[in-house]
Amino acid sequence: MSTTRIAFSAEQLAEIRRLQALYPERRAALLPVLHMAQDTFGHVSLEVEEYVAGLFDLSPAHVHEVVTFYTLYFREPKGRHVVAVCHNLSCHLAGAPRILDHVKQRLSVEVGETTDDGRVTLLSVECLCACEHAPMMQVDDRYEFDLTPEKVDRILELLR
Amino acid sequence: MSGERLLTRNFDRADSHTLKAYRETGGYAAWAHAQMMEPAAITEEVKRSNLRGLGGAGFPTGTKWSFIPKNHAGPVYLVINADEGEPGTFKDRYLLERDPHALIEGMLIAARAIRSDTAFVYIRGEYVHPWRRFSAAVQEAVEAGYLGRGLDVVVHRGAGAYICGEETGLISSLEGMKGWPKLKPPFPAIKGAFGQPTIVNNVETICHLPHIINRGAEWFAGLGTETQGGTRMYSVSGRVKRPGVYEASVAITLRQLIEDQAGGVTGNGRLKAVVPGGSSAAILRADEIDVTMDVDGLRNAGTMAGSAGVIVMDETVSIPEALMVVARFYDHESCGQCTPCRESTGWIHKMTRRIVEGRGRKEDLDTILDVSRRGVGTTICAFYDGAVGPYISYIEKFRDEFEALIPR
Amino acid sequence: MPTLTINGKEVMVAPGTNLIEAARAAGVEVPHYCYHPGLSIAGQCRLCMVDIEKTPRPTIACNTVAADGMVVSTETPRVLETRKSIMEFHLINHPLDCPVCDQAGECWLQIYYMQHGLYDPRMVDEKVRKPKAVPLGPHVILDAERCILCSRCVRFCDEVTGTGELGIFHRGDHSEIGLFPGRDLDNKYSGNVVDICPVGALTDRDFRFQVRVWYLDSTKSICPGCARGCNIEVHTSRRRPHHNEGRRVARLKPRFNADVNRWWICDDGRYGFGFVDDPTRLTRPIARDGATRVSGSPTYPGSPRASDALRLHTPTDRAGLSAPATKITWEEAIAAVVDALGRLDPAEMGIVASPRMANEDLFALKQVVEGRGLPPVGFRVPPRVPGDQDRLLIRADKNPNTRGAELIGLDGDVAAILAAARAGRIRLLWIFGHDLFQSAWPEAEVASALEAVDTLIWTGSNANPTSARAHWILPAAAWVEREGTFTNFQGRVQRFRQALEPLGEARPEWEILGLVLGALGAPVTASRAEHWFRALATAVPAFAGLTYQNLGDGGQPVRARALPAQLSLLGEASEGAVEAPSDV
Repeated sequence: MSTTRIAFSAEQLAEIRRLQALYPERRAALLPVLHMAQDTFGHVSLEVEEYVAGLFDLSPAHVHEVVTFYTLYFREPKGRHVVAVCHNLSCHLAGAPRILDHVKQRLSVEVGETTDDGRVTLLSVECLCACEHAPMMQVDDRYEFDLTPEKVDRILELLR
Repeated sequence: MSGERLLTRNFDRADSHTLKAYRETGGYAAWAHAQMMEPAAITEEVKRSNLRGLGGAGFPTGTKWSFIPKNHAGPVYLVINADEGEPGTFKDRYLLERDPHALIEGMLIAARAIRSDTAFVYIRGEYVHPWRRFSAAVQEAVEAGYLGRGLDVVVHRGAGAYICGEETGLISSLEGMKGWPKLKPPFPAIKGAFGQPTIVNNVETICHLPHIINRGAEWFAGLGTETQGGTRMYSVSGRVKRPGVYEASVAITLRQLIEDQAGGVTGNGRLKAVVPGGSSAAILRADEIDVTMDVDGLRNAGTMAGSAGVIVMDETVSIPEALMVVARFYDHESCGQCTPCRESTGWIHKMTRRIVEGRGRKEDLDTILDVSRRGVGTTICAFYDGAVGPYISYIEKFRDEFEALIPR
Repeated sequence: MPTLTINGKEVMVAPGTNLIEAARAAGVEVPHYCYHPGLSIAGQCRLCMVDIEKTPRPTIACNTVAADGMVVSTETPRVLETRKSIMEFHLINHPLDCPVCDQAGECWLQIYYMQHGLYDPRMVDEKVRKPKAVPLGPHVILDAERCILCSRCVRFCDEVTGTGELGIFHRGDHSEIGLFPGRDLDNKYSGNVVDICPVGALTDRDFRFQVRVWYLDSTKSICPGCARGCNIEVHTSRRRPHHNEGRRVARLKPRFNADVNRWWICDDGRYGFGFVDDPTRLTRPIARDGATRVSGSPTYPGSPRASDALRLHTPTDRAGLSAPATKITWEEAIAAVVDALGRLDPAEMGIVASPRMANEDLFALKQVVEGRGLPPVGFRVPPRVPGDQDRLLIRADKNPNTRGAELIGLDGDVAAILAAARAGRIRLLWIFGHDLFQSAWPEAEVASALEAVDTLIWTGSNANPTSARAHWILPAAAWVEREGTFTNFQGRVQRFRQALEPLGEARPEWEILGLVLGALGAPVTASRAEHWFRALATAVPAFAGLTYQNLGDGGQPVRARALPAQLSLLGEASEGAVEAPSDV
């Protein structure tokens, strides 16, 4: 757990003001700024929520509403990499449960957990809209298509 | 069946996403033409083209635009729904990655028609590569002078919630809140984003606009059926030989799509069922696939065109298991704002799971059907109507398969 | 003004009226949870659906504005079936807590289930589990499983108090009401969320497990906590002394008044009734040692019964504080007081009335004062800690009847009275209600004034350090134990009604003063507070024409023209005449 104070740099604050000004109401910049906070601080902790609430003149409860509603904001520290295996219909038909089991086994984690070495957080998610390449998963920013256990192994191998 | 490829014509070029490639293939000519048209004339042209919304609702696009109040003093907003999330659908991803300028040109035309000078493009948070591609295209368009002179575009990333694909859920999310859909009335065209008149259109719908302007409403209308014009991009997946995106007339039949375009059924080779319009569309049996894929054709067949996400199932697929997977989705994605959807999506998921796990009770099937029917029409938005599409149709059309899992 | 038909009955309503209110105007109740007239429209519960002609599906009534010519039906078979379905949806994950839930008996799930549900439950799966018994602050406790997510509490904290402490987190059936982790629901109106919560999700910590609501009586009253005079109901448990730890007052609830407090009260007022059943209540007239009692009928000035027959010895040292007190009868007490009043020059007496006394009490005191030749009388005692005030309901003046005391003409200089006492010019002090040691004046000065006088009479409901020094204590009934009127800071005269019998021998001040008047040779015929009010309305122009009847449940403003210039509690010029209701 980091002990550094939660604060954006001056450049970031200027960027936030620029973002807020893009919209008719500055609250609209909340989701983009929360993405920025997650990228900067690693995850959106309660402290981050309070800090961001201050930047928007919102009550922390209303920022907490937003953070708990959406799936892409991590409220706990996450691994250096996030592996999100799709489990929706087309991927299910293409064998997603087997792929998910394979990933769990390889990483020795359950869904929602992070490997002990902090390398990977595993998620099982709804449709990522890449059904033509089922079964598939999202690794950080990338989509990985047409998975087989072997391809999964190669991908996981590259995650440091 | 016309083999017109309008939206997908450049997809195979490696540089299809660049301004250079777009201009080389005739891009931004429609915008030049539209700039000399009156806004009302653009709307009229789009009405006559019979273009209908391709995100899911299938509402006539020109008609929707005409709901904007004529004498509104303040801003009008154009919002592009790039929150593609309907299971089985992936067409917008292709458009954002491979032809972002088509979307930009379409936005210019639409914005002119509704007299908007600010457009927001809401891209689902998981679509990182499409977001980068589209943002780069916006940058090119600004530098080339298409954007930033009359139309400003704000690219806005979502954060993971299917309900933000519902137009007022999207607006709430754009405004910086949870993606809770809004009460209608008022309708977004009257009072939408930030309290101003707003048009929310799907990516693909907007991408058709340059073609309509270039070649005219009659031509576009003629590509399709009596009540719906043009082509659309079908996302085909599941137990087919060649899953992928296929562009074809809205008049194509489901059989033609599966057999001619996607190469036919895999698995054991025998078709059992097809989801024709994204997971929210009622399922069709193998003997029901000789239907045209247009909005009215599929509505008359008791299902819907939706987002044209086609999921093919062969005889080895367990329909109860498929329903459980789908019920899990709606349980997970219900926003929770209104009581009927919030409570019953969770409950029905639990029941389908219990059935698949062999602990079903004989009352369960009728309970699911009854609860579904009672909830329809009572909710704030159509999410629940989408959820009951599978709840009701999978059980009604494959009841014996469910009953076989229920202990005596 | 649109005219519409509801269940066949025509009704005309103001433009902008929603169908729930329009139906009410037609005498029809449309069941609902999330709608509240004091909050924005949420449209979430879906219970208020009604059928509107030419509309294919039932529509929610809360978000539909009444239009001219609309034809609305609230009892069609389709509406009844829809309501039944909505009730089922609400109860799917609801815990079977009724036996342990405080809301039982006033719970809108219970009530509407009996009216609109009555189906056989068919949910056999595991219900969603959420946190239970979570304190949200000093006054409110949350049971998240019981919550039906109507969002009234969230909207209240956003729109009324502007504090935004509450939110609905997560989504789907895991949605949960809560605070930002680590924070408190600590705005000054937190108790209102308990009122507006239709179910037992938000309940009152003070009231928790004390008494079942069906054992409560309800009486209309006015909060005595500040000069706003919020309209309230007093809920008393009269037949169950084994509940609520024997306290008779169980709770206070706000009562709607469009001009005063709308639907709300502040927490201080809501929880400020503890003194009523507190052990410090004075229940008998008391004479402290050193005071000599007289038997027989009381004397009056000039009577042949010499004042020597009644001697009031004053302890000159502090021993009087711990001097044993003797309970005496009212006869004896009145006799002693009247004798003291009779033997002194008016200038040698000082009376400190209380702005917590009712209009009737103050008017009766005025009669005594005038009957004895106008000794110095005042009522303003500056508090040591200045009261807080906000833009909602809370007034800095923590007394319910300052305006009444001003209008009735008892506005003398209390500091001067005490100074005169210290200087020995005043030899008798009669203090109503105050604990002068809580005032802004130095304690030593107060003590010296109280000790300097020969006779200290104290009248009030609860013992305090000032009453502890009194020679004679005449116990007063608490406001819930009698009826009367207060005049709020806006000049609104409002009735409060009797909810309980006075404790022990305590009596309303008007009754005590009536006995004094009788003993002074000016007997009164008033046997009820209302009689005093009639006399007040006749004598004081500000109250002219007011009657208990026309005060009704909402009160009436005093006659504006009659208002004298006022001084605020802090000695500054006040806002002036009758104020417009503040924006609540």
